[in-house]
Amino acid sequence: MTQPTLNRRAMLQTLGNGFGGLALSAMFGGDEVRGADAKLVNGGLRGIPHFRPKAKRVVQLFMAGAASHIDLFDYKPDLVKHDGKPSDFGEKVEAFQNGLGPWMRPVWDFKPYGQCGKLLGEPVASLGDCVDEIAFVHNMVGKTGVHSQSTYLQATGFQTPGFPGMGCWISYGLGSLNDNLPTFVVLPDHRGFASNGPKNWDSAFLSAQHSGTVIYPGRNPPIADLVPSRGGTFINAGEEAEAQALLARLNGLHATARADDARLEARIRSYELAARMQLAAPEALDLSREPAHVLKLYGLDHGRTSFDAEINAVEETDYFARKCLVARRLLERGVRFVQIWSGNDNGFPRRNWDSHEDVRRDHGPLAQGMARGAVALIQDLRQRGLLDDTIILWTTEFGRMPSSQGGKGRDHNPYCFTNWLCGGGIRGGIAHGPSDQWGYKPADREHPTTVYDVHATILHLLGIDHERLTVRHNGIDRRLTDVHGHVIREIMA
Amino acid sequence: MFVRRALPWFAMVAIVASSTVSPSSAVANDDPSFERDVAPILQRRCLECHGPNDSPNGPPKGKLSLSTWSAASLGGESGPAIVRGKPAESLLLEFVRHDADGKALMPKNREPLTPAEVATLERWIAAGTAWPENHVLRDRKFDGYRWWSLEPIVRPAVPEVAASADLPSANPVDRFIREKLQEKGLSPSREAAPAVLCRRLYYDLIGLPPTPEQIDAFVSAYRKGAENAYTALVDELLASPHYGERWARHWLDVVHFGETHGYDKDKPRENAWPYRDYVIRAFNEDRPYARFVEEQLAGDVLYPDTRDGNEALGFIAAGPWDLIGHAEVPETKTDGKIARHLDRDDMVTNTIQTFASLTVQCAQCHDHKFDPITQEDYYSLQAVFAAVDRTTRSYDVDPAVAKRRVELTSTIAAIGGRQQELEKEISRAAGDALPAIDREIAALSKSTAGSERKSEAYGYHSAISAQQDVVKWVQVDLGRSLALSAIALHPCRDNFNGIGDGFGFPLRYKVEISDDPNFKTGVVRPANYTEHDVPNPGILAQSAAAGGKSARYVRVTATKLAPRKNDFIFALAELTAIEADGKQATPQTGQAIHVTSLDTIEASPRWRRTNLVDGYYPGLEVVDPGKLAALTKRRAAIAAEAATPQQRLEATDLARRKASAEADLRKLRPQQSCYVAAVHTGTGAFRGTGPDGGRPRPIFVLARGNVSSPGKEVRPGTISAVRDLPSRFDLSPDANEAERRAALARWLVDRRNPLTWRSIVNRIWQYHFGRGIVETPNDFGRNGARPSHPELLDWLAAEFRDGGVFVDAQSIKSLHRLIVTSHAYRQISGQAAGGRGQREPESLKIAQSIDAENRLLWRANRRRLDAEALRDSVLVLGGKLDRTMYGPSFRDFVIDKPQHSPHYEYHLHDPNDPKSHRRSVYRFIVRSQPQPFMTTFDCADPSMQVDRRNESLSPLQALTLLNSGLTVTMAEHFAARLEATTSGTTANRIARGFYEASGRAPTAAELDELTKFAERHGLAAACRVLLNLNEFMFID
Repeated sequence: MTQPTLNRRAMLQTLGNGFGGLALSAMFGGDEVRGADAKLVNGGLRGIPHFRPKAKRVVQLFMAGAASHIDLFDYKPDLVKHDGKPSDFGEKVEAFQNGLGPWMRPVWDFKPYGQCGKLLGEPVASLGDCVDEIAFVHNMVGKTGVHSQSTYLQATGFQTPGFPGMGCWISYGLGSLNDNLPTFVVLPDHRGFASNGPKNWDSAFLSAQHSGTVIYPGRNPPIADLVPSRGGTFINAGEEAEAQALLARLNGLHATARADDARLEARIRSYELAARMQLAAPEALDLSREPAHVLKLYGLDHGRTSFDAEINAVEETDYFARKCLVARRLLERGVRFVQIWSGNDNGFPRRNWDSHEDVRRDHGPLAQGMARGAVALIQDLRQRGLLDDTIILWTTEFGRMPSSQGGKGRDHNPYCFTNWLCGGGIRGGIAHGPSDQWGYKPADREHPTTVYDVHATILHLLGIDHERLTVRHNGIDRRLTDVHGHVIREIMA
Repeated sequence: MFVRRALPWFAMVAIVASSTVSPSSAVANDDPSFERDVAPILQRRCLECHGPNDSPNGPPKGKLSLSTWSAASLGGESGPAIVRGKPAESLLLEFVRHDADGKALMPKNREPLTPAEVATLERWIAAGTAWPENHVLRDRKFDGYRWWSLEPIVRPAVPEVAASADLPSANPVDRFIREKLQEKGLSPSREAAPAVLCRRLYYDLIGLPPTPEQIDAFVSAYRKGAENAYTALVDELLASPHYGERWARHWLDVVHFGETHGYDKDKPRENAWPYRDYVIRAFNEDRPYARFVEEQLAGDVLYPDTRDGNEALGFIAAGPWDLIGHAEVPETKTDGKIARHLDRDDMVTNTIQTFASLTVQCAQCHDHKFDPITQEDYYSLQAVFAAVDRTTRSYDVDPAVAKRRVELTSTIAAIGGRQQELEKEISRAAGDALPAIDREIAALSKSTAGSERKSEAYGYHSAISAQQDVVKWVQVDLGRSLALSAIALHPCRDNFNGIGDGFGFPLRYKVEISDDPNFKTGVVRPANYTEHDVPNPGILAQSAAAGGKSARYVRVTATKLAPRKNDFIFALAELTAIEADGKQATPQTGQAIHVTSLDTIEASPRWRRTNLVDGYYPGLEVVDPGKLAALTKRRAAIAAEAATPQQRLEATDLARRKASAEADLRKLRPQQSCYVAAVHTGTGAFRGTGPDGGRPRPIFVLARGNVSSPGKEVRPGTISAVRDLPSRFDLSPDANEAERRAALARWLVDRRNPLTWRSIVNRIWQYHFGRGIVETPNDFGRNGARPSHPELLDWLAAEFRDGGVFVDAQSIKSLHRLIVTSHAYRQISGQAAGGRGQREPESLKIAQSIDAENRLLWRANRRRLDAEALRDSVLVLGGKLDRTMYGPSFRDFVIDKPQHSPHYEYHLHDPNDPKSHRRSVYRFIVRSQPQPFMTTFDCADPSMQVDRRNESLSPLQALTLLNSGLTVTMAEHFAARLEATTSGTTANRIARGFYEASGRAPTAAELDELTKFAERHGLAAACRVLLNLNEFMFID
């Protein structure tokens, strides 16, 4: 709240490292531009990256409601063999809804793909084309089977609200790669937020510009307040430019008389940058100029304008793959972190991965749509040379139980689930950390993989030592990985 | 991370000693004593990490324990730590010895041992390494711990600073500030211009802009007599009701007040607002601080039957709450334990951080790494809150009504007592006849004893309808799809109103089952009586075959309602679903069967939806109602015969008086309810401690904070590091749980507790200057900042706590007055702040180079409007601010899907909705979906304790202020208001608008540019520019 004096660093910090870095750097002679890469434009923290990064960008695919590892990615022949027999975990199990019915086989058949021969369940078969580039982690463990706490944990590294999302930390540490779009973009499921809503990408104690910016590609406006609200009928395009110029002059007079306060000049610049985003964002989100073969790649050539009432694969593909295509366009234009959500909160009819009732009914279409979008994104990034320095992380809240919940559904399994990673710095074609014979817990219970490890690894690939990216808040040096986290060397190229 | 410790008192001695004593020169009679010399070093410096295996800090690091001789000599992963008599072979010495840079391997990340300490250890080992058998060492790192915030407050003398031309002020604040400035060769800046001071005071004290008239009046008064005009304005603003609104908001930041639960299914708290109103009222009434603290922690026990004593408890419940972790997971499950542990953690953190500025929450998994707070201290604080949950409490807002309620209740009880006596007298007169018949009745009733409580719970009852042909439905969610063979409906019997059997049973109805909660798809209809009226079944169960069809939901729809005297209803006592195997469908463990309906009267306990599945229905008893009625009648006849005329008269009179008192009671203004911390009495997973009589849950020290590893049970208590006060509360084991909270409140407000008083004066200071004397108001520990003016802080704390010449004891308003009348506060905020066109003085540049961050306050700080002040000002300029105080919060969103997970849709809100034009402090605060406008401007996040807001500047702020519904709408209203109220030319209107927004008249050039713009594009467009001016956003 105090006013910084005329000081380059203070001013950069004041404006933060939204998409404002370039203009400020240029204004001050550009010595904040670091590294040989001219596209790495601005003000992350001094001293970061800590070491040579392998990647610059991240896409996080987040499956809300908890996707089943054993029906999609982690094949368990023992479940086929013992299908329908009473489950026996060899120990007392606390399940969220007491879903400890008989063992239930994967609801789909698995087939091998790629040179690595990775077995994939039928709905995610399309990922088979890229499986040699993917590292699966099958021994992920969570902390609780409660949706909200688990979503927080995977999104922010803490079970409770009040902590910045991973994208916020990366924005804070590395700054932006562009000068006209946000650093961290969130593409929510348009049917509703997941548990905790925007708190999953909130900047918490980091300043507000590190929050994820929500974009709804189909909505008008796609970004809140990008254009004047409907009430502003008195505003026309010609006037808008003149208004901005007048504002800049008046604010300039005010700032000149107070040249010892860098914030005033920074605020003038923030209006210029806003104007730039008003031009850049609609262009970035305009899919109409994508050629037919790209639309086909993403499964967006279905020609449908409306969908059936029941959950179905065409519709789910349209939703998820469209976000993936938007993500690619944003990454190309220098957005550093894109988070794509699949699934809303736990309403009915179910449009999320929380398949207590029927795995086949809900997981089927959701997984087909997700896999189609994800594989298209990987291939599209690859053909544009962006895959080498873009990390893709597929994650969810927790897994699902190998036993049935009496019927066709599965209960929560916070004791074991799967993540997969792909792209910049990731070693493909491997499966790290097996789960046990049922997919109930890690095979080696002493050495599971946690979200802290995944976060530490992603930061590492971005050139950040996760133990050194800290912010003191209420007396504690906070970091994304709390007091935990080990870089998973085994999945790195 | 390396953390610098306070230099221990012994360090000086040690450095001297090390230069004269070398290990080789040690002589036998000078050998260190283990108890006196060696053990304290190990306990203070080593045992935190290398304690016994059962240490609360976890197993020893590197598997090395130094707690006993056998453990130390056995050693850890690196080998034996100490070899008797052999310093050269003892790894301990190798690890603690300094290298060339004065650093050592151990203690890790801490200041190394002093050379003297190392020498002592070396001599002790060389001299035979005496360590008495069974002498167990434990961690004593906090012994003799000294830290500024924990030292008693000793009122410092006000520095004697010679008065001078640039310091005419006698204000003690200025003398302390001046002393520090002089030390650095700095001098204060001159006083800002009166118009600047006026705007600064308005925003600082009431959070609203002054009108041009208010500025002009102040400037002219100031010219006549600056001091009088200034103090008069300060007093006027402190007396304004808007003062409380402004300063309550600061407090609400700190206590992380919100009006939804947060987490999953972020449900609204409909009645959290009374706490917000309490805080506003307390600030406006200048509540003595000790009482303010006491009310918020234990108002129910310290100030019972007062409105504030109830509403203030909203403090404990202010933070987020995991609904699912409580309502769907019982305390017997691990996830349920975690949810309740986190819940208490939030209460403890909120309390200690808010009132004592320490980060006690860091001691959850181990002793605090930096501050003298043990893990046991932390859990003893959890024990203070072990009985309460976040829940709703009812109370009378008006103390007179509360008093009347108590009177009436006791009157009714007294009459009841007399009625019983009279009954006994009559009974004695009647001889054997009555006891005999009573025995008969008792025998008959015994068989129904179990159902007595439940028989109060009649069933589900729809809202009352004026028409009979209205469709109403009630629906049961079995939790999962089940194969059902039949559905049974049990009609009601309403004894209360004497209506009798079959009460409310519809004339026409149907029974349906489905997996779709909306009954749009897959509907099976076991019964359909919608074509013809059915006879009333009395209390006979009505069964419908479901044919083994699977369904999760059962719905009964009445298409023709049951008649009452003047209206129509639908009621049912019980709905039972029978599974295919003939079993009654029951909820899954830890779950409740949910009942929903089109509408309901919910008149607990008799009528509520949950009664539909409570397992009770009339006819369940085996009692013969006819026989019971006959007996009751006969008993009344016998009693009437036995009574004297006087007794009969008295009985009539008592009954009349009782009925009258009961009627009066019903006429009282209904009780208000407030979301607070209290003993909760619930059912299902979230039962609270109410069913156990409010007995606190046992609290254990949790190893590594893990709920599955409980250790020692702890008593209620608090931090032990405040030396003058006992840290464990002396309460009898059966003391009411509220006594625990009262004890904590008393500990906090004890004048010997230095934390409390330093904490509050520092917070108040911070909101005036933008930075606290301690920059980290929530952390006075070693990870926090050190005070920039420690003597000033202590002087203010003592003056505030005890009262003095300048501050009334515990009066926040008089503390404000002292601070804002200081010269330090009235200085210019920097270049040009005193008036336009002035050149930057050389002295400013020098000051910049010495203290660029202005820690020593050689000038004031220019402040950006915070989110609330900004939004309120936009409404003021639009002429739309509704100054109504208090009451339920306004909602600037539309709730979608309220039944399940509410979606808070801000973009659907109409910015012209006048309900939303109240001050921002009355905004309904949603945790999961923060309000976009406010959040963009850094409003406090209600999920974390915010002691100091971020101040960011971003392009998103520019977009928000240019384009949001609020600003474009208000720009138009701003223009319309100027058109309506300011006569003359466009230039007149622009000049007026500019003055309102910025606090000064525009220059000719500014006026000219804006006027031309307005003439081309309209006044509204120009007003939109005004709302985006830097000068509007910043206060000089």
